[in-house]
Amino acid sequence: MNRFERLLTLSFGAVASLAAGAASASEAAGYGGGAAGSGGVSDPAAGWNHLWNEVLIDITVIGVVFGVAALYMLIRYRAKSPTAVGHGPKLKGAAAVAFALVPAAIFMADDFFLSAKGWTLWNIYRRVPPNALEIKVTGHQWYYEFDYGNGVNVVAMPGSDDYLRVPVGRPIVMRMTADDVIHSLSLPHYRVKEDIMPGRMTYIWFLPTEARKDVVTCTMFCGDNHSQMWTNIEAMPPAQFEAWLASQKKQAQGQRAVENKG
Amino acid sequence: MRGLGAILAVAVLTLLGGVGVAGAQYPREPESEIDPNLFRIDEKSALGVKLDADLPLVDQEGRGFRLGDLLGKPLVVVLAYYRCDGTCSVVNRDLKNVLADVRRMEMGRDYRVLTITFDKNDNQETLAKFRQGLELPDKWLKEWTFALPGDQGALRRMTDSIGYKYFWSPRDKTFFHPGVYVVLSGEGRASRFLYSTATSARDLELALIDAQAGQIAEPRDIINFAVSLCYSYNYKEGRYTINIPLFVGLGALVFGVLALVVSVVGYRWYKRKERTA
Amino acid sequence: MSDTMASSGFNLKEWIFTTDHKRIGILYLIGSIAALAVAGLMALLIRAEQFSPGMQLISNGDTYNKWLYFHGAAMILAFLIPGLTGFLANYVLPLMIGAKDVAFPRINAFSVWLFFAAIIIALLGFVVPDAPDIMWTGYPPYSVKTPGNTAFYVFTVHLLGFSSILGAVNFLVTVIYLRAPGVTWFKLNIFVWTTVAAFVIQLVFIPVLAAAVTMLLFDKYLGTHFFDPAQGGDVLLYQNLFWFYSHPAVYVIFLPAVGVLFEVISTMGKNRVFNYKAAVYAIWGIVAITGEVWVHHLYVAGMPDWIRIGQMVTTLLISVPVGLILLSLWGTLYRASITYNTAMLYAAACLFLLLVGGLTGIPLAMTVVTVHLAATAFVHAHFHFVMGLFAAFCVFTGVYYWFPKMTGRFADGKLATLSFWINMIGVNLTFWPLFIIGVDGMPRRYYDYPQFPQFESYHHLATYGAYITAVGMLGMIVNWVYSAFAGRKAPENPWGSASLEWTHCPSPPGPGNFPEDVVVSEDWSPYEYENRPSGARTATAPAE
Repeated sequence: MNRFERLLTLSFGAVASLAAGAASASEAAGYGGGAAGSGGVSDPAAGWNHLWNEVLIDITVIGVVFGVAALYMLIRYRAKSPTAVGHGPKLKGAAAVAFALVPAAIFMADDFFLSAKGWTLWNIYRRVPPNALEIKVTGHQWYYEFDYGNGVNVVAMPGSDDYLRVPVGRPIVMRMTADDVIHSLSLPHYRVKEDIMPGRMTYIWFLPTEARKDVVTCTMFCGDNHSQMWTNIEAMPPAQFEAWLASQKKQAQGQRAVENKG
Repeated sequence: MRGLGAILAVAVLTLLGGVGVAGAQYPREPESEIDPNLFRIDEKSALGVKLDADLPLVDQEGRGFRLGDLLGKPLVVVLAYYRCDGTCSVVNRDLKNVLADVRRMEMGRDYRVLTITFDKNDNQETLAKFRQGLELPDKWLKEWTFALPGDQGALRRMTDSIGYKYFWSPRDKTFFHPGVYVVLSGEGRASRFLYSTATSARDLELALIDAQAGQIAEPRDIINFAVSLCYSYNYKEGRYTINIPLFVGLGALVFGVLALVVSVVGYRWYKRKERTA
Repeated sequence: MSDTMASSGFNLKEWIFTTDHKRIGILYLIGSIAALAVAGLMALLIRAEQFSPGMQLISNGDTYNKWLYFHGAAMILAFLIPGLTGFLANYVLPLMIGAKDVAFPRINAFSVWLFFAAIIIALLGFVVPDAPDIMWTGYPPYSVKTPGNTAFYVFTVHLLGFSSILGAVNFLVTVIYLRAPGVTWFKLNIFVWTTVAAFVIQLVFIPVLAAAVTMLLFDKYLGTHFFDPAQGGDVLLYQNLFWFYSHPAVYVIFLPAVGVLFEVISTMGKNRVFNYKAAVYAIWGIVAITGEVWVHHLYVAGMPDWIRIGQMVTTLLISVPVGLILLSLWGTLYRASITYNTAMLYAAACLFLLLVGGLTGIPLAMTVVTVHLAATAFVHAHFHFVMGLFAAFCVFTGVYYWFPKMTGRFADGKLATLSFWINMIGVNLTFWPLFIIGVDGMPRRYYDYPQFPQFESYHHLATYGAYITAVGMLGMIVNWVYSAFAGRKAPENPWGSASLEWTHCPSPPGPGNFPEDVVVSEDWSPYEYENRPSGARTATAPAE
């Protein structure tokens, strides 16, 4: 009984100190959404990757402690004879309460630790920097429409060359709604997504830090061609982006002129 | 054709300010063949549009300001005209009457109101006359701004951006325009469009709560949020209806809890009765 | 089963109109295993389709969506919930508390009829044109706009819901009023506690789901606009109502599944449950919190920011009672004396499946982490570890453990062990790759992934894993059917358990369950092996 208590106290002490250690290590590593992007704006995606690693460590530690304990006991406590019985401790009074409260406190500590971490990054995710470039997104069955304002409207059919283009180094905010059913706009590389639905606006923002091309895809089941509701996102050097935007604007004006004539 | 025209005219009238009010106080609307649906705002595309915060305006004191200066908290924007050539715009009067019954929100503390004229013939004089005619309560004088546009082109771009249409009909000698209250969120986004003919104080309250966009800053915001849950917004008609599914769901939950209690207590009662019988 | 058949002859009418909780339990088992087989077949088709980008088996997405719908709805509503709260609760719960039958035997029979009616309606969906293609969640507006017949989904939910509510009333009353003298609250088997908790959840929350799907039905067929945003409906409310039931439903499955593990580990380890009372309070802790965590299914659905954060905290906090239950489970192994057999093998595997499933739930409880992971293969793998692997393996554990009780025979050990290892390898091979590609952004519910060609090899592995699992499952079911009729005869209490269903009644129990009225002494406990009162049938016998 005494030995047992000591053993368990030790093992949970170990969990607690490991969790605390991980916490302080991560604090020391400096948290705050990872590397700050241009203009002192923190990059949510970098923050996500950082938090993900921490959470992964957290659950791996818990998993290994419990897993090894289970494996050890499953092997160690095999029956010596068919009539042998177990001698598990009979917890009474204070010991029973302690074995409930102490682990509960440890679990709770970990929960609050993770909550605090999650909340900090969540605030970064939801507070759009003031200088963000705004793009209006409309989801249709089964394609996206990106409206840059001033008549520049990109209808992004899956796999076509008309896709989402954004400048590197400037926060991008997507104001999103849908036309028919609920869709979702997922940017896996930028670690963000949100559902888009008729009659409501939702938003996400992200910060492209380098020129690259990634996938935009729908993650809310929306019917037959749900799997094929996707397009690309290309983060371009700002100058290149401006040139592209200007050409689109020109095209849009041309189109409008034609429409007005007709 | 005449019959249809009459129906449409009544509909336009209704849109402009309510048959009762308009008919009683202003000259009868001339008949017209304008389709009132032309004036519905296509909310699906206008929802969430950010109005130009740099829109230049001039207030009732003659001071220039930008639309952005009034933001920070929800703003009710009314587009109208101040002169009464054929008919007067009744949108503002309707809004005043509705706001008088709004209890959950307080003008100034929670929101502001802005009236802008789109009639280029309006000036400080017509503005002052119109404003006086409205007979606003004193406490609202500071919070309800009446403005002239500083730049007609910029105003037109702003109204275009939310799909707000208006024009002068020489035949009818009146402006045709939707009688709509545009409720902006604190950051200047079009959040709700309410039509003056169908808007009650409750609708306006809910629209203002929605325009706060779930920001919970004070305890009363929580109550407001709870109230707003009870209604859902109909963006085709621009008004609020009771959120029936929520109450059905709550009712179902109560039913479940009752089922639990009744089955546990009821069986005991049944057994006891059986024993005594 | 075979014994009763041998003595009285098989009589179909007797089985259909039976009011005996044991036969009703067997009927539930047959129905839920049938659902497992059909829904498992769907899983194989789904995995085969996902093998590579492009379309392998289908010519349009509709067919695939119907498979997904049926797989999800049948696995959860017709296999897991009836398997645990229908089959296991029916068969062993009255035996564990020393009751002759349930409180309302005829209502019980009605429940199982409703269950079979629901399965038939669900299967009919496949025969008629335009089967539902709305996933098991049935979100509007899609479920209203689709040409698919949402009604089959709604009626399936209605019948199963009604069946579950009747079952819940029945078993709550049974446990409260029909316990044998001496079987006090804190001597109940953990499985009884978990089942009671599950039934309380069912009773309180199912009406909400029923209301939600009924409004869906009205929207689709009667032109109402409850969930149509254009007509003043609330587009998000269905999701809220749906998950308000369906997250607690996870615990309806999880709790009895854990209960089975407690029974098996305690019996095979001849050990008392570690910190029994803490485990019981933790079970009720879960019931208390489970109604306040549903928004974690809507982290990216556009709910107000502060609600998402509030429910992140409640969702994380549910790990406290779950952790305490785990601690009791682990503690039960401590200084045990474990005899290994198929049931124990499955139970041991379940501990590890539970760890993986539970711990991968922690990041998903965090709003900001889920903003990326929502609706990806990571979520898919997480809940399959909890539901598909852990809970399903717990059902199998229970079947092997109570097999001698039900049939009077042992399941074939060699085939059982072989199929166990095939299953174990298969399921792990299927779902571990999905964790990896999920973090890189592979979405769920895709039949085609031209945008993600880099994930193809992972999908290959997962599909091979599914094929391997299918072989194991087939072996397992063949084993059960074969052994039920021709297995080695088992003694009355082959595992030497201290629990009432083993110590006080024959295998299989006859009508009325117990030859004599059960009365247990004060020092009796279903988990007491060290100072055992008596192994005799009559517990009135003095302790040794």
